[in-house]
Amino acid sequence: MNKKMNRYKYIIAAFFIMGSLSARAQTPKGSVLIKNATVLTVTNGVLEETDVLVENGIIRSIGKNLSAGNAQTIDASGKYLMPGIIDAHSHVALEAVNEATSPITSEVKMADVVDPYDVGLYRALAGGVTVSHAMHGSANAIGGQNITLKHRYGTHNPADLFMQEAPRTIKFALGENPTRVHGRGNNNQPRTRMGVEAIIRNGFNDAIQYKKAWETYENAGKQKGATPVPPKYDSRLQTLVDILDGEIIIHCHSYRADEIYMLINVCREFNITKIVFSHVNEGFKVAPELAEYTMGASVFADWWAYKFEVYYSTAYNAAILTKNGVLTSINSDSGELIRHLYHEAGKAQRYGELSDEETLKLITINPAKQLGIADQVGSIEVGKQGDLVIFDTHPLSVYAIPQMTFVDGVKYFDINEDATDMRIKVSATETVEPIYLKEHDHKCMHGVDFFFTNFGRNLFDHTH
Amino acid sequence: MKVNLKFKLLSSLLMLVFYGTISSLTAQSDPSGERRVTGTYAITNATITTSPGKLIEGATILIKDGLIQQIGTSIKLPVEAQVIPGDSLFIYPGFIDGASKAGVSKPKDPERPSDFNPSNPPDEIAGITPWRAVLDNFDSKSSHLADWRKTGFTIGQLVPEGGMIPGKAAIVVYGNNYSTNIIAQNTGLYAKFQGSRGMYPGTALGVMAKFRDLYKNAELSSQHGRLFASNVGLNRPEINKTLEALYPVLDQNIPIFFEVSDELEIRRALSLQKELGFKLVLVGVTQVEHVIEEIKESGTQVLLSLNLPDDKASKKKKEDVSEDSKERIDRVIAAYNNALTQPSILEKAGVPFGFTSSGSKSGDVMKNLRLMIENGLSEAGALSALTSNNASILGIQKFAGTLEKGKLANMVITTAPIFEENTAIKHVIADGYIFDFEIKPKKTEKDSNGTEAVSIIGEWDYTSDTPDGSGSGTMVIEQSGDSYSGKITYEDPSGGGTASSEMKDIELSGNILEFAFDVTVGGSLYQVTVKGEIEDDTITGNLNLVDAGSFPFRATKKPNQSNL
Repeated sequence: MNKKMNRYKYIIAAFFIMGSLSARAQTPKGSVLIKNATVLTVTNGVLEETDVLVENGIIRSIGKNLSAGNAQTIDASGKYLMPGIIDAHSHVALEAVNEATSPITSEVKMADVVDPYDVGLYRALAGGVTVSHAMHGSANAIGGQNITLKHRYGTHNPADLFMQEAPRTIKFALGENPTRVHGRGNNNQPRTRMGVEAIIRNGFNDAIQYKKAWETYENAGKQKGATPVPPKYDSRLQTLVDILDGEIIIHCHSYRADEIYMLINVCREFNITKIVFSHVNEGFKVAPELAEYTMGASVFADWWAYKFEVYYSTAYNAAILTKNGVLTSINSDSGELIRHLYHEAGKAQRYGELSDEETLKLITINPAKQLGIADQVGSIEVGKQGDLVIFDTHPLSVYAIPQMTFVDGVKYFDINEDATDMRIKVSATETVEPIYLKEHDHKCMHGVDFFFTNFGRNLFDHTH
Repeated sequence: MKVNLKFKLLSSLLMLVFYGTISSLTAQSDPSGERRVTGTYAITNATITTSPGKLIEGATILIKDGLIQQIGTSIKLPVEAQVIPGDSLFIYPGFIDGASKAGVSKPKDPERPSDFNPSNPPDEIAGITPWRAVLDNFDSKSSHLADWRKTGFTIGQLVPEGGMIPGKAAIVVYGNNYSTNIIAQNTGLYAKFQGSRGMYPGTALGVMAKFRDLYKNAELSSQHGRLFASNVGLNRPEINKTLEALYPVLDQNIPIFFEVSDELEIRRALSLQKELGFKLVLVGVTQVEHVIEEIKESGTQVLLSLNLPDDKASKKKKEDVSEDSKERIDRVIAAYNNALTQPSILEKAGVPFGFTSSGSKSGDVMKNLRLMIENGLSEAGALSALTSNNASILGIQKFAGTLEKGKLANMVITTAPIFEENTAIKHVIADGYIFDFEIKPKKTEKDSNGTEAVSIIGEWDYTSDTPDGSGSGTMVIEQSGDSYSGKITYEDPSGGGTASSEMKDIELSGNILEFAFDVTVGGSLYQVTVKGEIEDDTITGNLNLVDAGSFPFRATKKPNQSNL
């Protein structure tokens, strides 16, 4: 085919892509000029008394004496401006968390069950969090495909919350949760850590066979007059194929050093490089390996001892990992902790004596890198999305209180306009809507009550 | 025994009243004495609404053997026509139910195999049974069906009970019991976002994924079948009855009727439809205003629920509560009022919709329709949703949905315009058979003679007839503050002895008593509601179990102990 023809096809294709983009409903994009703030850019140091201009959802300029144009001006003199906080492990705004019925459920998609009415989104905004990674639970060795959310609270359409630019990610889980649900609960594999490894390894090997079957079919179809019979379609294996092809980032629930090292080796064997470990309480023992072979670790600041595999833990974990060159973030895994991730990051500084910038990276650019969205969010840079938080004092101070939170330049939280009742949707019959302490009371999620080991945590939906 | 059962059916459920019990001379002998004299009827001088908004006054309608022969103001009646004077009566097309579970039961779960694996259960156990026909689990003699006919329904699409894909629907007419009454079978595939307990797919997550996989594999399997039929040297297709049962959906021959409980489920159904491209009808729609654009864009059809939420909040006492609580109650009241406006919002947006009875009680239908009309739905819109719209959604508009020559003789005959407060249904004609209903004069709320107000406080004995036999027990009602509290006993459905429950939402308005109670059967909670009229220490009314039936209820007050 000649070059001209190719170019023609390209133009046609571009036309169709443009068309489909404009057909999609636009999420709101705002313009705002924040003046005279102490700007914590995270990637370019601290800029005193500096203005940041967001136009149509994108940061247009950073500097002094910027003019607002049509944008609204906010005087942030004496206040601190930082990039919107990013939570790399969350279950906020999900109607269901676990499809806990099979050791591999890579076919399920959290995007199918996003609940835009969850007031937890607003609470997260009140804590300065603008992006969260809505994950499948940890019942299965290979869980479902996660969805990265931008907290555009107020919409009735779940798709408005999706961060369309974010790459696909998937949940994996090692250790006690999958062995308890499937092994002890259903007398299925995996019953032990060895079984977890076997499930993952067999899954990938099946996926290779599956890919081959489809390739053979498609190649056979190219022969003239051929009538090949299509293989069975299996979105479970197709998703694993996509992981092997590098299209999906793995986020793996893990605690112990041995199982983390095990999965690193399995991934190396299958040439998988896009993997982030979550929780990673014993990560400090395998820090060099995490640094060399993975996209890092997303940890708790100081949360442990809620089951046997999480006793060997330390509040120095984040600092040790950072100092060993591991891309490290601090996550919430909780509708409560998500409201003060800046405090959680502060703990890593309190123990591990990280610098301000290193500490802020734990909840901004680092989780952005782990979610594959660092080119869009995670720092205050020209050209990035206008996700910003204004704090009254330095966000790593224990006295810090978020004042305003912006997503795409649109203000979604303002402490001075914070109504008592921020729910979007209320029941037409119940004045006090029930709180479900166990998920299965709510959604008949048989066999997943093991996630809930502690009453206080239950209230806030911990499913770590 | 048989005679006894029939007697019970006739007497207690107000089934059929036949015109003439003597068989016609030309017919063969009729020992039952139940065959009617003629199939030709004329209702004269009535106000006839032939289709929503179209009205003929002083008109006569002539029907013969189940078909409408003529409608007009000057009709010559044949001699065999039995004439029903329709002076002061109003005639409407018989209601059509877009999706009904009346008389439909859930098939028993098959036994689990010894090597049962919850991560990969057989389709049948996991609630994936698209090959099932609803009529195989349908009791045409169900009292429920008679209840809906009494409310004006003459045709219903029956939808199957079960798991995520329970089976195929069928359309029946609510006519005489001697016919099968089947109009069409396999009229649609029914589906819902219901996971299976303790096995895959267990949640909406799994149901969505499973649905996509089933659909795509049905496409591939059908492709394989076509290739195999027209080529040699190919492996035979593996016949799978689940996938084969989906072929009519792939071919767009039948739609999927997707049961949805809220807007998020509507969006899920719409996104599956967009990805896979089947014809979609949403069933049981309640909240809808924020998803109307998407519904319009997709060309999806809508069956709105006849159910409305209970107005609990506005009954709450607002004194002595904090400002916050007051605001919270106000929001619930606003949400309740908003729920009432959903049909009118849909109408104004220009989305044609029908109604489904699924999940609602026959006794509440007229009240709910009036509430919808008070909140902006036009009367013509309400009637269309009960008749012509449903006829076109079900694809039966050629012979049902309006009153026209040549259409099925299905109609509702009322004492006043249909949506007026005190209107009663006097006759329902279904498939050309006439069903008569007793009209009780309404009592005024307060007795003007100044007689003592009705008192429900005390101990009552009650009985209720259900198809499984009659049940009985006691109720004790006490005054507690401004409201009532009480306890009701009943035969333990789990077997053996008596169980009791707290009576909830006890309300007395005039001489009408309403209350509800919960019964636990096999770990599931069922709400039973009772509504009855009090007269001289007896309560006569109905006991309702959603989706199970409505049964006669009768209670008598025990004499006051202290008087003995």
